Amino acid sequence: MSLWLDKYRPSSLNKLDYHKEQASQLKNLVQHGDFPHLLVYGPSGAGKKTRIMCLLRELYGAGVEKLRIEHQTITAPSKKKIEISTIASNYHLEVNPSDAGNNDRVVIQELLKTVAQSQQIQTSTQRDFKVVILTEVDRLTKDAQHALRRTMEKYMANCRLILCCNSTSKVIPPIRSRCLAVRVPLPSVEEICTVLIGVCKKEGLSLPAELAKRIAEKSGRNLRKALLMCEACRVQQLPFSADQDIPETDWEVYLRETANAIVSQQSPQRLLEVRGRLYELLTHCIPPEIIMKGLLSELLNNCDGHLKGEVAQMAAYYEHRLQLGSKAVYHLEAFIAKFMAVYKRFMEDGLEAMMF
Amino acid sequence: MSKVSRSRKVASSKLTNWVQPSFDDLFTCGSLPSIKSNKRTNSGDPKYLDCSSKFLESKKRLGKRSCSREHHFSCTKEYFDCHEDEPWVEKYKPKTQAELGVHKKKIEEVEAWLKVHTEQKQINKGGSILLMTGPSGCGKTATIYVLSQELGIEIQEWSNPLSSEFKKDNLNSIFDCESISGGFSSESQTRMFQEFLLRANRYNKLQLSGETNDKTKKVILVEDIPNQFYRQPAYLHDILRKFSRTGRCPLIFIISDSLSGSSMQRLLFPSEIQEELKTSSISFNPVAPTSMLKVLSRIAVQEATWNGEKTNGPDKDSLHVLCNSCSGDIRSAINSLQFSSLKGNFICKLVGIYKLKKNSKLEELPAIGGKDVSLFLFRALGKILHFKREPHTDSDLPQLPNHLSEHERSRLLLDPEMILDKTCLSGELFSLYLHQNYLDFYSEIDDVVRATEYLSDADFFTAEWSGDIACSLCLFVGFCLGLVMVKCQTSINCCNEDTCYCFPSSKH
Repeated sequence: MSLWLDKYRPSSLNKLDYHKEQASQLKNLVQHGDFPHLLVYGPSGAGKKTRIMCLLRELYGAGVEKLRIEHQTITAPSKKKIEISTIASNYHLEVNPSDAGNNDRVVIQELLKTVAQSQQIQTSTQRDFKVVILTEVDRLTKDAQHALRRTMEKYMANCRLILCCNSTSKVIPPIRSRCLAVRVPLPSVEEICTVLIGVCKKEGLSLPAELAKRIAEKSGRNLRKALLMCEACRVQQLPFSADQDIPETDWEVYLRETANAIVSQQSPQRLLEVRGRLYELLTHCIPPEIIMKGLLSELLNNCDGHLKGEVAQMAAYYEHRLQLGSKAVYHLEAFIAKFMAVYKRFMEDGLEAMMF
Repeated sequence: MSKVSRSRKVASSKLTNWVQPSFDDLFTCGSLPSIKSNKRTNSGDPKYLDCSSKFLESKKRLGKRSCSREHHFSCTKEYFDCHEDEPWVEKYKPKTQAELGVHKKKIEEVEAWLKVHTEQKQINKGGSILLMTGPSGCGKTATIYVLSQELGIEIQEWSNPLSSEFKKDNLNSIFDCESISGGFSSESQTRMFQEFLLRANRYNKLQLSGETNDKTKKVILVEDIPNQFYRQPAYLHDILRKFSRTGRCPLIFIISDSLSGSSMQRLLFPSEIQEELKTSSISFNPVAPTSMLKVLSRIAVQEATWNGEKTNGPDKDSLHVLCNSCSGDIRSAINSLQFSSLKGNFICKLVGIYKLKKNSKLEELPAIGGKDVSLFLFRALGKILHFKREPHTDSDLPQLPNHLSEHERSRLLLDPEMILDKTCLSGELFSLYLHQNYLDFYSEIDDVVRATEYLSDADFFTAEWSGDIACSLCLFVGFCLGLVMVKCQTSINCCNEDTCYCFPSSKH
């Protein structure tokens, strides 16, 4: 039994539930049997991958759905062996080069070379190019991105790239200019509701519209998360009722507790405890950006209008630092320390105002 | 091969040709100071003689503190005669507590332990274990020997036996050991160590002729720990457990810390074991410069009086240079003293240079034979976190303008860049350590804000110029200064100091 998420993933451009106009544009794009390199970007849970797979199916037919996982070993020039897993069909290859860490440049060069150098045998029945999907392009090192830029031109004849990332801000401009950028925005709450209700219908369940709306809002318009939450709700309680609890993920609860700890006391000791909690979150692979965002939204609840602006500005500043720097915890901590100081002053002012 | 308590000249005439004194090229006559005989119930057996001479050779080859084992020596004239060419470390090794360069409190601590554990044997059932740690050359072994002599305690010491290949190469001509080597060499060091403990524990030293032995108190000293135990500390723990149940006399382990931080002590004696066996632990600090100066000048004076015209008594300045350059290692200090006073000119030149440099405000010049001064990680952290500043003095430095007055602070006593240089760590790594530890040093959240700001800056800059080490270093220093500066702010607030002087900020 697979997750609803995978079970009801649309498989062709016609069946997509939202952004239909974009879907038809994509269809037009590949109708002639060729397309430029693509850079698909958008927030997570918006359906980037789904769209890419639909596009490939449109190109190659049902053959792209026969996937196999391969573990490839690539030898770096320094004789170091890098292992990386790829997902491939006969027509395409999907790889996340940032898995290789600092050696991502080697992975990109070697993998693309092997794929691009082998030409399709029957060009009459098949397309004369293969597709390589690179995910998380925004996490590639600058080195790898520059290598990619060269490779893109070199193997244009028999290889097309589809790059997939969350934000183009970390993709170097030369790559951006070589690709057709496709932005996949998040679905609206209503669109998520329709999808959720549709999926439940297919499962033979009836989902109350109120609950669907609540799930959609709680998921932050992340369709993947919404579907997972919906399935979790089904496990928790069946049949659905409109006012049932929506289970939260552990790290969200943990993050909220952390925010409460920050608000309840402002001292270096507390900062030390909070640091421990931050490390806990980071070691469980919660991205620092999400921690920052979650903390900010929790902390803002405790601020008044004027303070909100200040805190948001601080958060923006340190989020930017976070992107530029290499150790996230420094910047998270700096933000928290600054918030503590500001909040403490705010509380003390408030106390004084009350007393006089 | 393992119990050595007394020196006797047994086979020195045969051994001299392959044993070289370490200062051979500096002296002409080369008689061996002593030969250690082995004291066992069956010491007449050629097998054991063989071993003892082997042991001796290993000692001599190591050359380090070979002679410090002869602790029952009285300093007769004869002794001095035959020890003329000895390193001064041996020649002037301390004989009384007053001569030790170790802090008084430490000596008392060890003395108290020795007294308690050698005298109340009946009450204290089972063997007690003492762990002595400290950097090399801080007087651990010397303390034990001096104290045992004063308290009338006999020392039995373990030292690692050599492998059988070595024996065959070198000693076939001396002893016919072909026939016995087989049975002997198959014993593992671990087992031999165990047996040694057992025997040392049970039997007293042999009464040799011409020797009045009224010493009944005894300690076992282990300084060379068999290599096998480093690989499998569990063996050692088992042996020690057995010892602590059945042992009759105290057991002392001496372990030298290394500066690099990879502590053998933690490997061999983890805290669970220490607790389980009720091990006492005394850790020595590097010898303080003042007491080292005392020891050095004592030796210099003695040498001058004993050997008047031959050596130029080094003056006070040169002794200072020596003290500063050896970072608390008294053995290396004495060695360099001997070396420098040999040819007479070295130290004078050195001091000349030193004085010159001093005038041009450059400090610390490593003396000849001085140790490479490096800082242990946590000491370096401490130096940054417990920063020290000059008390405000008259200064011609310009004051900061008014809008920057909150940045005012007095000059640092230590240069953070120098500290980083000495730690041999990358700036990035060091700032990680700092980040881990700095929070405990703040009480006000406002100060923490500034510290975190600097940390954030430091990370941002190191990421920007990754690979450019020099730059990351100076940025790290920028961060350090930032941290230190914030701390200064706190202290100023606390002390209400009116005047303080600025330190050029190296924030980039």
